[in-house]
Amino acid sequence: MASAPWPERVPRLLAPRLPSYPPPPPTVGLPSMEQEEAYLELYLDQCAAQDGLAPPRSPLFSPVVPYDMYILNASNPDTAFNSNPEVKETSGDFSSVDLSFLPDEVTQENKDQPVISKHETEENSESQSPQSRLPSPSEQDVGLGLNSSSLSNSHSQLHPGDTDSVQPSPEKPNSDSLSLASITPMTPMTPISECCGIVPQLQNIVSTVNLACKLDLKKIALHAKNAEYNPKRFAAVIMRIREPRTTALIFSSGKMVCTGAKSEEQSRLAARKYARVVQKLGFPARFLDFKIQNMVGSCDVRFPIRLEGLVLTHQQFSSYEPELFPGLIYRMVKPRIVLLIFVSGKVVLTGAKERSEIYEAFENIYPILKGFKKA
Amino acid sequence: MAYQLYRNTTLGNSLQESLDELIQGSLNTYRFCDNVWTFVLNDVEFREVTELIKVDKVKIVACDGKNTGSNTTE
Repeated sequence: MASAPWPERVPRLLAPRLPSYPPPPPTVGLPSMEQEEAYLELYLDQCAAQDGLAPPRSPLFSPVVPYDMYILNASNPDTAFNSNPEVKETSGDFSSVDLSFLPDEVTQENKDQPVISKHETEENSESQSPQSRLPSPSEQDVGLGLNSSSLSNSHSQLHPGDTDSVQPSPEKPNSDSLSLASITPMTPMTPISECCGIVPQLQNIVSTVNLACKLDLKKIALHAKNAEYNPKRFAAVIMRIREPRTTALIFSSGKMVCTGAKSEEQSRLAARKYARVVQKLGFPARFLDFKIQNMVGSCDVRFPIRLEGLVLTHQQFSSYEPELFPGLIYRMVKPRIVLLIFVSGKVVLTGAKERSEIYEAFENIYPILKGFKKA
Repeated sequence: MAYQLYRNTTLGNSLQESLDELIQGSLNTYRFCDNVWTFVLNDVEFREVTELIKVDKVKIVACDGKNTGSNTTE
């Protein structure tokens, strides 16, 4: 843990704002960062007081601030500092609450979550953040998705030859269930997004799977229902099923892309149905390396947005060319999500590999958008 | 200028329109192979000025009408 750069940075940011430093509150499980954490907590309190926001712990990750410190806990701290030297000096836009320099553990409410391993921490912080924030009765989909994904992950482990993409994921639902149990008692402060209660809805999930056998596309197109095959235009069979309403691209190598599902479980179920269709046609299809490649979500903040203002202050992340496209394209760094923001207040979020990234990105952008509300 | 957002649709060539027809209308199945479209529809009404024909199942086989295909529809 490179603690040397930390004291340099933290006082520089905090010094102009904080009048005094009370003794740091006791923290558990973060051995080498207790001092910095205390300073950061104080900064959070100050910022929250300035913004007049109810929760003192506002986990806002505006990417305007160096994010190499943020990555600190997610990966090797040394490489984080070495690989992102250019992000050190930022515009220092502290008028909005920029907390992306804060490590995950501090800004999340999970102060008692020990830094067990970097990988698990990253997964925990990413996966716990939406769970701690989302009102549980209204987000059954998440719960169902998580529960069934844990089931499906355990099923997928029965397949030999599954790659690493499947194996770490069973860890996640288990840690999710554990973290849910540990989080629920300790969320006295509701995060900001729960005040607005807006939850992005998943609209599209793209996933891939390897059927692990060569396929005769013409045979599939001729014998399967609802299939298209035009090799001159595209070298795959385009097949659709009604439930879940999805489209699959099936290639002669045996690889398949499944699009159109509204949840992770639906995507997996649909992929399995396509695999069964192929199997029934006589091919020895298997179900290897199912992986969700992209998730798209959308929501409505319900107020008009000044896109011009947003592109001026966040020009490193935004591109807005109304003559080309009416939406502002915001490329958030952490998490790595692309958001399309429209004047109407509608927001499209894409590029996620996991549902939590969509939620986290929206929680990051919502306070920024509120700052650019029209009139 | 291809934004990643749209790569899902362009790469997949996947419009859900066919399925919308499946759900709403009477399209049972469709197939496209060797430049030949085959549709199976259920509960179809053929309406002419004078006549009305109702049918439980109809199979339409259609080929391309351009230069590449010169066959007729049955």
